[in-house]
Amino acid sequence: MVLKIANWLDERVGWSGVWEAIFLRKIPKVNWFYTLGSATLFTAVNQAVTGILLTLYYVPTPDHAYDSVQYITTQIPMGWLIRGLHHWGASAMVVLTVLHMLRVILLGAYKYPREVTWFTGVFLLLIVVGFGFTGYLLPWDQKAYWGSAVGSSIAGAAPVIGEWVLRVVRGGSDLSAVTLARFYGVHVWVLPASLILLLGIHMYLVIKIGISAVPQREDEA
Amino acid sequence: MNDKKKLDRRGFLGFATWAIGGIIGAGFGIPAIAYIIAPAMRKEEEQEWIRLGSASKVELGTPTLFKTKIEKQTGWITNEEEVSVYVLTENGRDFVAMSNICTHLGCRVRWISDQDVFFCPCHNAGFAKNGDVASGPPPRPLDQYQVKEEDGQLFVLGG
Repeated sequence: MVLKIANWLDERVGWSGVWEAIFLRKIPKVNWFYTLGSATLFTAVNQAVTGILLTLYYVPTPDHAYDSVQYITTQIPMGWLIRGLHHWGASAMVVLTVLHMLRVILLGAYKYPREVTWFTGVFLLLIVVGFGFTGYLLPWDQKAYWGSAVGSSIAGAAPVIGEWVLRVVRGGSDLSAVTLARFYGVHVWVLPASLILLLGIHMYLVIKIGISAVPQREDEA
Repeated sequence: MNDKKKLDRRGFLGFATWAIGGIIGAGFGIPAIAYIIAPAMRKEEEQEWIRLGSASKVELGTPTLFKTKIEKQTGWITNEEEVSVYVLTENGRDFVAMSNICTHLGCRVRWISDQDVFFCPCHNAGFAKNGDVASGPPPRPLDQYQVKEEDGQLFVLGG
């Protein structure tokens, strides 16, 4: 019965072809380092799921940010777990993204015909770092506040335009409610939208072109 | 799974992938549900005895207004709410505590001693001294609190 419905749907939707293209595609014999991209993708999904859950209770204003985070951590069942997964998942995502990049560099996977995959990957790395930077401020505790104060002041060190960039980043010359609001907006709207777009292209190319093999010596190839 | 067909390496890995994926999915899904439905699972806040003040302030046969503040906790925010109660006693021992909120549309009523009536300014409703509807649109008498006297202090059950 279930099979019948599945077949009926597949005949009209064609998802089994998509499934085969994604999960049953041929790959060369590779090693565990080639799973770092998938591992990074897993942390991205983790961040998305736990991040969406956090927005159910989190309020991004100086009045409520800290208290709502404490409320999530201490009052909501499993709130500590959801927040913990998001907190540690963030670090894991940065680490895995960098390791994935190193693998691509060291095994030469960025070369023809995969340059465009690499370009999108470079911007994805910037997005991941942007997530980390904007997310750091959101708990609005001392570490968050001063960490972001120092972090954003780096922008002000640039010659000529530094002062102006600093005010764009902070939404004023000091860290304030405006800073918190725009960091939150960037963290939950701008960056996720960019991530989905670039990740879509990135993975389309990985599947379309196929992954690279482990480089061999000339005489063995 | 077919008994005659032996589980090959490919089949085993496929099965293991689904099993581990399922465990991870449940690991996210179950806490997520607990997290989302938490506000509905919370026990309703128990009613507490709210201290109004000295029982000796109540004049015999005249509804006397007591005002006090209680703290209400919603999420991480604590709000102060004012509670206004009319207390009536005919003999100094048995007390009746009435809400000053009109049962029609929730305006505040006040005791007009000249006319012996609780008057609601919104739709000219009148309530008798004991809270019964005397005139106007209210559907039922003034709501009453459970009341007790302890060491000369009056308490009502609310919150």
